[in-house]
Amino acid sequence: MSRLVSEALLLRAVDFGESDRIVHLLTPETGRLTAIAKGARRSVKRFPGTLDLFNHLRVSVSRRRGGRAMAFLERAVLISPFLELRAVPTRYALASYLLELMDRMAPEGGAGPDTQRLFSFALSSLSALEGMAPDLRIRLLFELRALDALGLRPELRHCVRCGAEPGVRAGFYVADGGVVCSSCTVRLEGVLPVHLGTLRVLQQALDYDVDRLERLVPGAQAVVEARNLLFRFQRFHVGLELRSERFLDESLGEPVA
Amino acid sequence: MHSSPAMERLAASLKRLPGIGEKSAARLAYFLLSAPDSLLTELADAVGRLKSDTVICGRCFNLSDRSPCRVCADPRRDAGLICVVEEPADLAAVEKSGCFRGLYHVLGGTLSPIDGMGPESLRIDELAKRIAAGGVGEVILATNPNAEGDATAHFIADRLAKSGVRLSRIACGMPLGGDLEYADHVTVGRSLENRREIS
Ligand SMILES: [Zn+2]
Ligand SMILES: [Zn+2]
Repeated sequence: MSRLVSEALLLRAVDFGESDRIVHLLTPETGRLTAIAKGARRSVKRFPGTLDLFNHLRVSVSRRRGGRAMAFLERAVLISPFLELRAVPTRYALASYLLELMDRMAPEGGAGPDTQRLFSFALSSLSALEGMAPDLRIRLLFELRALDALGLRPELRHCVRCGAEPGVRAGFYVADGGVVCSSCTVRLEGVLPVHLGTLRVLQQALDYDVDRLERLVPGAQAVVEARNLLFRFQRFHVGLELRSERFLDESLGEPVA
Repeated sequence: MHSSPAMERLAASLKRLPGIGEKSAARLAYFLLSAPDSLLTELADAVGRLKSDTVICGRCFNLSDRSPCRVCADPRRDAGLICVVEEPADLAAVEKSGCFRGLYHVLGGTLSPIDGMGPESLRIDELAKRIAAGGVGEVILATNPNAEGDATAHFIADRLAKSGVRLSRIACGMPLGGDLEYADHVTVGRSLENRREIS
């Protein structure tokens, strides 16, 4: 048996059998981790009010070495529940969406600086969202950062084909995950037209601290372009429609161009 | 294991029930084979009638044998007070407390975007319609005090904000027989916030 004592973020919890819960955790050491909490729905002493969505926990998990069997969640102590995420429907919608994105895309059993970075992003984004009233703009900025934290960072500064500066007639080539310059654009099909202003604001969104993202205020045209670009980028590189997307779209409303 | 096609068919059906695996299904099938005929008849009859004899109340969406259900049809209940719960089992729990004399509204779940459950999957429009019809003074939001339940309560409160009806949320804090030492700090904090005068 090996034991992991770590911080964790609860991404998802599903009732299992009569008294157990299966939890999906994000940890800085391992990335995504699935564990079974035996007797979680009965034992208030072992898991007092802790196995809830968005909860930042300190957990103790044991695993059979080399075995493929599920890990056991032995103990969980609450660090922070991010209660404000529940208080505003748009916040709840966006936070749920980000959590689902991580639940589906985070590396499993992965190690190293990337899982550490992903975990930091997850905590700082939930904490930042607690004080925000999300709209489409906030959603796009956070979605871009979530994709970046998951290793899906669009290249916005240099042409993904030749390395040149994008220039005025640049476009975004979804399949290659980045901008293409005006001369490379002519040789490709399905390049999305995008204004330099949009690329600039998205690049700033990648560079800013998460808790300062709210200060970025792209114009209406940039929001529409970014929405289109990120939507296609996400669909192509994530490859699936998230279940929480519909509620998020409904909560935020459609962009006004 | 010795078996027959009939046993295998039963075990295969049982296996589709939640929380029942291959072994439990086989064990149950063997148990039923050796059980008295009266038990089998009773069980078969109960399963057979389950759907036809269960009605969802058209007003509060409680499970009942009639619509409107006994609670909705009871003239002694306070029709100006609606307690909103997630599931019929929660309604039963509130009824059992004996502390509530109003009517209910069963949502049929909670807002859980990650499970694909949006407001359209819940009976929120129906609740808004009941309130718009008039006569309701207060709505008690009694969804569970977890992330989904809290978010659902806030969503409904937003939806009903302009209706003029009084909105309240069930109190949350230390459970009876609980132990402060073992409680998480949020529960302890909420218990203090929701404290009441002692006389
Ligand atoms: Zn180029
Ligand atoms: Zn009823």
